Order: sequence, then structure tokens, then C-alpha cells
Amino acid sequence: MPFSAYLDSVRQDCRQLVEELGHGFDYVSVLGTDVREAIYRADRKSSAAQDGAGECGFVIKMHDGRSFYEYSCDDISGDKKKLASKITAAVATDASLGDRRICTAAVKDEPMQRDFVRENDFSSYTDEQLLDVCKDVSAELLAKSDKVLNALAMIRPYTVSKLFVSKNRELSQYYGWVNGYAVVIYNDGKLVQARRIEGAGNIAEVIEKVKAGLDGVVDLASHLTKAQPIKPGVYDVITDSSITGLIAHEAFGHGVEMDQFVKDRAMAKNCVGQYVASPITNMHDGAAATHSVASYFFDDDGVPAHDTQIIKNGVLVAGLSDLASATQLGTEPTGNGRRDSYKRKAYSRMTNTFFSPGKDKLEDMIASVKHGYMLFETNNGMEDPKNWQIQCTAEYGIEIVDGKLTENYVSPVVMSGSVPELLKSISMISDSFEVHGSGFCGKGYKEWVRVSDGGPNLKVRVKLG
Amino acid sequence: MKNVKKLLDSAKNISGYRISGKATESYELFFVHKKLETVRSTDTDSVTVTVYVEHDGRVGDSSFSVYGSMTDDEITEKIETARKRALLVNNEPYALTEGGVLDEKLPTDLDGYDNAKLGSLIADAVFAADNVPGGSINALEIFIYRDTVHVVNSRGVDKKQTTHRVMIEAIPTFTDEKQSVELYEDYRFTKFEPEKLTAEIAEKMREVRDRAAAVKPEGGMTVNVLLRPHEISSLMGELSRDLGYGAAYSHANLHKAGDDLQQDCRGDRITFTMKGIIEGSESSAYFDEDGTSLKDTVLIKDGVVVGSFGSSRFGQYLGVAEPSGELKCGRLEPGTLTDEETEAEPYLDVVSMSGLQLDLYNDYIGGEIRLAYLHEGGKVTPVTGITMSAKLSEALASVRLSRKTDVSGRYEGPVRLLMKGVSVL
Repeated sequence: MPFSAYLDSVRQDCRQLVEELGHGFDYVSVLGTDVREAIYRADRKSSAAQDGAGECGFVIKMHDGRSFYEYSCDDISGDKKKLASKITAAVATDASLGDRRICTAAVKDEPMQRDFVRENDFSSYTDEQLLDVCKDVSAELLAKSDKVLNALAMIRPYTVSKLFVSKNRELSQYYGWVNGYAVVIYNDGKLVQARRIEGAGNIAEVIEKVKAGLDGVVDLASHLTKAQPIKPGVYDVITDSSITGLIAHEAFGHGVEMDQFVKDRAMAKNCVGQYVASPITNMHDGAAATHSVASYFFDDDGVPAHDTQIIKNGVLVAGLSDLASATQLGTEPTGNGRRDSYKRKAYSRMTNTFFSPGKDKLEDMIASVKHGYMLFETNNGMEDPKNWQIQCTAEYGIEIVDGKLTENYVSPVVMSGSVPELLKSISMISDSFEVHGSGFCGKGYKEWVRVSDGGPNLKVRVKLG
Repeated sequence: MKNVKKLLDSAKNISGYRISGKATESYELFFVHKKLETVRSTDTDSVTVTVYVEHDGRVGDSSFSVYGSMTDDEITEKIETARKRALLVNNEPYALTEGGVLDEKLPTDLDGYDNAKLGSLIADAVFAADNVPGGSINALEIFIYRDTVHVVNSRGVDKKQTTHRVMIEAIPTFTDEKQSVELYEDYRFTKFEPEKLTAEIAEKMREVRDRAAAVKPEGGMTVNVLLRPHEISSLMGELSRDLGYGAAYSHANLHKAGDDLQQDCRGDRITFTMKGIIEGSESSAYFDEDGTSLKDTVLIKDGVVVGSFGSSRFGQYLGVAEPSGELKCGRLEPGTLTDEETEAEPYLDVVSMSGLQLDLYNDYIGGEIRLAYLHEGGKVTPVTGITMSAKLSEALASVRLSRKTDVSGRYEGPVRLLMKGVSVL
């Protein structure tokens, strides 16, 4: 049984704590988490085999008919009456805030009992085998050119066990994901880094993908040493699936996180039912929308995973919500309540976010560009859901002249501008589709969660600098 | 931690260990508009153990987490797994930090407050600035933390430091009949000064009002750009990361001692020091996660790289006699820029960016500007929807630094940095 034996052993403690706190609160839930990560890495001079960032603890969520309360702790064993008193005292507010609390509807707690498991191949690999893979990959990259100063290979499998208990609901889930990395530091008169990051539900698949891309990493590094800065301007742009995902995530995904609707922090709140993108555009988010890094079975509020269509034929049709925001808005939560860890608050968060494929062929899209760029590989992005401005940075771009990709690389490339202008400029969408499950997303500048994003190639017109 | 230490002391065939614990108590308030949506409290403890094994003339290490739920048998099993993993790892030998006992509090005036009362007072100080017609603070998050970091190792280190700090995130918003706009702001402090907090939020309320009136300039321009502490801190953080021992050891560093970062300098020469403690900074610390006492280190002196910094391990690899430890804070020395000089030419005073984009490898500095004031011919125009980009090397060569300094997060230094001749579109 891969599900955490520890969490399995505290089910009764969770039930008892829910019951005890239920004397003072209308709604009580306990989320137990046991997340384990291992890191195997090797470069030219060093190596590592160790545990990575994990967590094991509890967050208790309560609602008293008005506000929400949460308490995070490491242990819920022992006298539940004492613990409940401690929790209640810990979330008490100063008297001056008593009349400043929100007033929301009661939290729904519909019955559900399920145990979810997604199997993986993690236990079929030993520490030694995985470290050897990293050492071999690093050595292979170093051997490809004497211009490779260093080469890092890394494999990071992690597993998630979560237990959710409320008065009427008891859910458990176990799933895993693994990321593989190949990074080279390369000097050919100019020092650069190039990387390839892969993700999958099984280690075997990740190893295969990383190994298949080693020539590409060194070749990219070689091109990046010759990359020039881009001349700022507005260009026709073809995105690779990573940049498509970055646009989906930063340009629109954050803007439909419905806790921002509650705070009047998202322009999208007033645009439901309106055209926000080109009519050929469709966009989804959901833990159940595809299989990637954020494909859980239920969220951190105990709400089952969804597949939410956000944009349908260019029209904004739905947003993403956690329990607290849905309760305040009077809508149904969409299974997007996520926490950085059990120590942090749940917010409305994206999961796997992507544009749906279209009908165009990539070669036709490139051929349609007189002068522009094809952009590759996400570096970072920043949302601005209130004002619908975006900033997305691609690792590099390749110039397109007269419908053909050239050997002219530019790096870095910052794409910025107005979200509606960008989305309405989408004129072609390829029939390919890839989601990248190696990203982390912050809300503002904190609250990091694992996300994937991607989709097909897009043709857009946007400002590059 | 005592129990973990006992189990490690009795473990066989390990050469050493380090136990790194962090206990955090927090009290958190989340406001939607001016209404309290959520109250949170946390009481958590995280412990990470690293086991070291010397073998074959090399040293291997492996880390694992210890959770409150673990039994002694489970911890013993984790130690054995880590020992076996460490045997697979063949790193260059290095010595663990030796000796030192400490139990100190970082400077703060927050200890005298009850958490619930302090949370309420902070909320009052923030909302006191919510008096601009058309303005509002649409969201406010208040985090009051007390962190106790405790590092123990097998060579006699037993150091503890406690930080009492506040982080708040406020969203000043302005709405008129045409639109609604916002700015994002976070504040971090260890000393509660309500009047200062209200004044800072009030300034942001005025700026967000100006964002609503901001226009996108016609066409592109080449103009002097004035950056504020948040962006200056990002710039210095990027330059200092390149000067870490780890970057040099892995051949990822671009610069080394003796390199002049401001060739053909036409501005103020940069002098930057990584520091253990900056008064008022929540990132201040006496020691790092190895228990190494932090030693202030000058990285850049008059524009020339003169030092590097980092952990004891990578310092030893590079032959550094007394490694600095993993310093977090940095001080940039003030310059000579005066208001008169700033005003002498048109300039863009950047209030808010999506995030300063820096790429040392590609010699790039830029980013999307959410709000700036364009000062031109005695006229001040709020502008938005523009992006700046420049060669970092050229920006550094022309950089001017203000005389006035302040503390912002982990940065202490000039409150304004002027870059000349930046391309803005």
C-alpha cells in the first residue's frame, strides 16, 4: 500500500478532532499531508543522494458561520479536548476585529468516502541506480565537447499522500511525479547555460526523455553563445508549447483565480460571457484535465479534481476557485484550493493549464511569418490580473525571415503587453499538444505550488524586448 | 532535537552529522477589502539531519527530514538509509564547522506585543491610509512570525537564533468610472512603527491613483531611468549570486576577483558588502545553516570584484581561509546623485515593475513597467504599458546612486539608482 502508513494510522485522531472542534464551529476539516521527495544529482565534481523538500503535518480548517480559521501543526495525537481548546485560543482575534469579520454562507460538506491511488515505478529503482544514471548523463554531456565546462544531471521523484477528514467526508490520495534535468555550462567565448527539464509519472519515462535530449542541450548551448539581444519591437511570434503554456498561465490563468474575484483584483470578474480571446481559442485548467505534475484527485479543501474550461471559442466561461472564495461568491468550488504546504493558507490556484490544440500545421504557421521570431522555453513570468498586463520571459528565440527559421538566435526575450490584445491576436493554432510538468507557480511573490502548463503552438503578435 | 542527537551520537560508521531545526509560530490575518476573511495560526517544527561519511579519501553526505510523528526506530532507519546514500556520494573532503555555542535574539521590538493585538494594530495602521477618494485597499495579509533556528553538529556547534518579524502584503487599488487599477506592495519589518507604515501605504495610495491616470507614451524613447530599492536589491542580488563560492566551484560564475564591472565608468563606483545583520531587516542572522558564524564580506569595491562569499564547504574547496558563511543581506554604499542632477535631463522614475529581468550571461537588464513618472521639461506624466531594456554592462558604467539610503527587505543602500540612456518602448 503506497499511501502513507502514518496518515493511515491517524484517521481516528482526525475524526475525533473534527468532532471535538465541531462543538464550537459549524464546519471543521482536517487535512493531513505526507509528501516525500528524493534528489539524485551529479555534476563534474560533486554528487548527492538525499531527501528533498518534504512535509508531514496537519492543517485544521474551521468556519463559524462568518469567517474562516486555520491552524497548522505537526501532530494531532493526544487529548483532543485539550488540542481543540489550544486551537480555538490560537485563532482568537483581538476584540477590536470582532465586528470586522466577513459573513458568508454555510460551508457545504456533502458525503464522500474514497481512497485514490495512482501507481508508479519509483520503488523499482535503488538509490545507486538513480545516482548512476545521473553520473552517466553528466559524463556523457561533458564528453560531447571540451567547451562544456560543467554538466549537471538530476532526478527528483516525489510522492504525495494526503488525508482529508470532515464530518461527512473522508478522502485519501496517493500519487507521484518525477522530474529529470540536464544542464550544461558552456563557454565558447561567451559563457552560457542551457537546460532540458522533463517530467512524467514514472522514472523510466523521465530517464528516456532526458537521455534523448542530450545532443539538443549541447547544440542549444552552442547556439546561445552566439545569441544577440533582440531589437525591441512588435513582431509576429510563433510560440513553442512551453511559451504557449506561459501565456496561458500568466496572461490569463492568474486572472481567473476566483479569490481575486472576491477581492475585486481581477478584471476577468467583469468579463464572464465576453470575448477575451480570438474565436479559435480554447483554454482549460484542472487537476483532472490532463495527467501532469498537478494531477491530484482532490484539492487541499477536499474538493474533487475538475476539468474546467476557462475559454470556449474565445469567450470567458469560467474561473477557478477554492472553498473560501466559492463560499463567498456563492458558486461551486472547482477543486483548485491549493497550499504551498500544510503550514500555509489555501488559495485559488492553477493546476494543469493549457490552450487546446487547433488545426494548423506548425510548418504553415512558420511559413506565414514574413519577419518575426519563434520563442522557446519558459524562463519566468509575472501576472497582473487586475490590469491585464503581462511579462513573460523566454530563454531564447529564433528569427524567422520570409517564412523560414534562420540560425539567428536572440536571448533573453521579454514578451510584454496587454492580455486582451495578445489573446485576440492569436491567428493560428497548431494541431500539436504538449504540457510541461516541471514548473512552480507563486501567487504574487510567495505560496509556491507545482503546476504544469502548455498546449499547441500559437501565432500571435506581441511586443518583444 | 535532543532525541535525534542522542540517536546520531550512537550511530555507527558515520563520520559526523548536522541537525538543523526551525520552529515557527505564526499569527496571520487575511482581509478582503476591510473585512476579516481568515485567521490563521501555526505551530510547526521542521528538522533536517545531514549525515556525513568519510570513505575512499572522499566524503559523502545525505540529508533527511525528521517529523514529529517519527518514532526512534523510524529515525534510526532514516539515519542508516542516509549513511548508505552517503557512501554512494564522492565529494571532495571538507570539514564541518567547528564549535561555538550561541543563543541570541535578532534585534526586534515586537516581543512586547500580544500577537492578536499586534495584528489588529497593524491592520489599523494600514487601513488608516485608506482615505484617498476612489481608493481602497482591496486585500491585506498580515503575517507575524517568530522563528527559532537551531543548528547542532558533531563538532560542537550548538547555536540558536530567534527572529520576530512581520510581513504584510497590501493591494492599494483605485477605481474611477473608466477603470480600476492596483499596485502590489509588501513590507517586512522587525520594528513596528505605525506612523511610518501608514505613510508608506498612503504614498502607494497616491501612486495607484496616478496609475489610473497613467498613459502609454507614443512611440519609443531613450531616457534616463531611476530605480527604487526593490529593483536595486534585485540587481545587487543577481550580481552577488555570481560571486558565490558555489558558482565559482561549478564554473557557473561570470566574474572573478579583479574584474571591473564598471569599465569606462562615467558614474558612481559601486561598493557592495554582503552582511550578516542589517538593522531592521528580517533576513539578518548570526550564523548560517551549517552553524558558520557570518562574516561581513566586501564583494565589489569601487566597481571591481574583490571578494566572494558562501558556505563553509565551497569556501574550503576554493581555499578560502575563513569562509564567510551564507550571507543573506547586502549593503550598497551611497553615491553622489543629487536631485538637481536627476532633474537636469528627462528621466523615468520607475515606481512599479512586473519584475526586473536580469541576465548576466546575455548582458541584459529590462522588464515591463507598470507605473513610472516621466519627468520632462518640468512636467511630470504618469506612464504605463512600457518596457525598458538595456545592456547591463552599459547601465553599470553609467550608474548613479543617491546619497540617501534606507533598508528594504535584505537590502540597505541608496533609495534611488539612475541608469542613463535606457531604451523604452
